[in-house]
Amino acid sequence: MTMDFISDDQREALQEVANIGMGQAGASIAQVLGEFVELSVPQIRAVDAAEIPAALVALAGDGIASAVRQAFLGELRGEAIVIFSEHSAHDLAELMSYGDALDAPASRELLLDISNVLVGACLGGIAELLRAEIGFSAPSLLADQVSTHQLLQAEAIAARCALLVEVRFGLERRVFRCHLIILMAEDAVAALQRALDRFIEEL
Amino acid sequence: MTLPAAAATSSALLESLVERIDVGVFAVDRAGTVALWNRFMAVHSGKSSTAMLGQNLFAMFPELPRAWLEKKLESVFVLGNSAFTLWELRPYLFRFPHDRPITRGLDAMRQNVTFLPLRVAGGEISLVCGTIFDYTETAIAQCRLHEAIAALNTEKAAQGVLIGKLEAAQNQLLQSEKMASIGQLAAGVAHEINNPVGFVNSNLQSLKKYCEQMLHLITTYQAAEAQIADSELLARIAGLKQTLDIDFLQEDLPELIRESEDGLLRIKKIVEDLKDFSHVDESEWQYADLNAGLDSTLNVVWSEVKYKATVDKNYGQLPAVECLAAQLNQVFMNLIVNAAQAVDESRGMGSVTLSTGHQDEWVWVEVRDNGCGMSEDVKRRIFEPFFTTKPVGKGTGLGMSVSYNIVEKHHGRIEIDSHPGQGSRFRVWLPVSQPAATEP
Ligand SMILES: Nc1ncnc2c1ncn2[C@@H]1O[C@H](COP(=O)(O)OP(=O)(O)OP(=O)(O)O)[C@@H](O)[C@H]1O
Ligand SMILES: [Mg+2]
Repeated sequence: MTMDFISDDQREALQEVANIGMGQAGASIAQVLGEFVELSVPQIRAVDAAEIPAALVALAGDGIASAVRQAFLGELRGEAIVIFSEHSAHDLAELMSYGDALDAPASRELLLDISNVLVGACLGGIAELLRAEIGFSAPSLLADQVSTHQLLQAEAIAARCALLVEVRFGLERRVFRCHLIILMAEDAVAALQRALDRFIEEL
Repeated sequence: MTLPAAAATSSALLESLVERIDVGVFAVDRAGTVALWNRFMAVHSGKSSTAMLGQNLFAMFPELPRAWLEKKLESVFVLGNSAFTLWELRPYLFRFPHDRPITRGLDAMRQNVTFLPLRVAGGEISLVCGTIFDYTETAIAQCRLHEAIAALNTEKAAQGVLIGKLEAAQNQLLQSEKMASIGQLAAGVAHEINNPVGFVNSNLQSLKKYCEQMLHLITTYQAAEAQIADSELLARIAGLKQTLDIDFLQEDLPELIRESEDGLLRIKKIVEDLKDFSHVDESEWQYADLNAGLDSTLNVVWSEVKYKATVDKNYGQLPAVECLAAQLNQVFMNLIVNAAQAVDESRGMGSVTLSTGHQDEWVWVEVRDNGCGMSEDVKRRIFEPFFTTKPVGKGTGLGMSVSYNIVEKHHGRIEIDSHPGQGSRFRVWLPVSQPAATEP
């Protein structure tokens, strides 16, 4: 699908905002976790709703994964999904100062906590650059250790199409690989466009 | 109202709102020093705001998960975004007694907590504000829901078991009904046959006697033949003797009567076996001779077996066994008929061997054939109701499932040893006496 609901200028601006935002996010995440984080260059594209599940599989690869979703609200609206394709609960627990005994609820809470940090840092950074006021809902578990093909079912997607921003995370010295996907429905993209235009003007 | 006065009023309003709102509100700075402690917090923790303000949160609540919470607060300070805890994963942050001391409740208040960054002077985040929402009612409702679902699931499983039992019972009923009606029919026929057989038998006895007397008379006459002078009469007698073949007749007559007697005896035996087999009048637990049961069963199904297989018997000494004899006969019948049906007729007469034996408190009855045998798959499914490998109309697939249920009812078991092409051996083990709890 072509990026017909966002102009080339806007797209370029978004890419730049995302790049800068991720850079800042990387720094603050490192500060919270106390470790250096590897972040990929954000990939931006528009997808049909029906393509979203397949896109997630393409990103996370075949296998078992867990996923957390979190909404962002305010001037920019959408949902962020964090897919944990590979992680050591033990490593993450250490980073988030969890005790040693990690029972099932605690290991789920851990994923929510990590997601909250990643989503907050990345989206917070982007929103700040765009000077858009946003807030976050509490994160919730979307899928717990399921095949990546079952992370999200096409029928469960309400939007017709969406703008998808993907960032990969890794930690240098830990077993950890995850993807952050920001999804904004077509109708919410208008607000993003306005913010992007404002950003371009102010350059 | 002047502007500063308006501002003062509105800030007083806000202050009293924070104080009174039915949500726990507290704030700490980066060092963990408490800067705000509203009434909800005071009421539930038992620590007043005077006691809390200016104190270190962790010093006042040593039971808090300090390392984790410090990390959480730090992430809010660093990122400037909210953080959360959910009661479903972490039941509570502060252990507050719940508000249902009398009616049933949970051990402690369930809480959802949101940690909000506060920028007091508009610049750096100087405080993190925790808001605590009471989710106890929701938790209780959810708990009940889970209980209800679990109860429903247990019930469903129990119903599944019941349905299975019902099906088995119905199958058995079907079969027992069939057997009962066959039994009744047999008993009726047996009764009807008994009367004519009775008078035929007594007539035959008279007939036998009369014949003997007549024959005696004739031999006496024959001896007197020499005395006859009338040559014409003599010639007539000789002619008659010739046409009637009187010598043969004299020989054959007692033979015919003896054979008829034999036939009658056999009719009587079959009638008795039919009555034995159907046991119409005894559906009670009783001590019975299984060897005799096996024999009468064999007689009933003899016509099914005799053209297919020779039957060998190898009976041991058996004590009387506590059983429902009619039902056990049904089991033996199923086994014998199956054995005969397993015979491969193209290879000539098969062989069926009936054996019995006794070991400690158990007896066994065995039916062995040298027929087609069974694959693992057939063996696994043999007790399934309606499982049959026989052509439509020949087998209903109920024989073994009914047999299984009957043997089960007797607290016995059926042992199977069978290999494709090598025949099968079914051994029914039965306890001599039923365990005390058995209800007839
Ligand atoms: N002696 C045996 N040798 C080989 N196969 C047997 C023997 N006895 C039982 N089986 C197999 O087990 C199946 C089930 O036997 P079962 O007596 O329950 O049903 P059936 O004989 O097919 O039908 P019916 O209800 O008329 O007895 C048979 O169809 C047959 O495949
Ligand atoms: Mg059968």
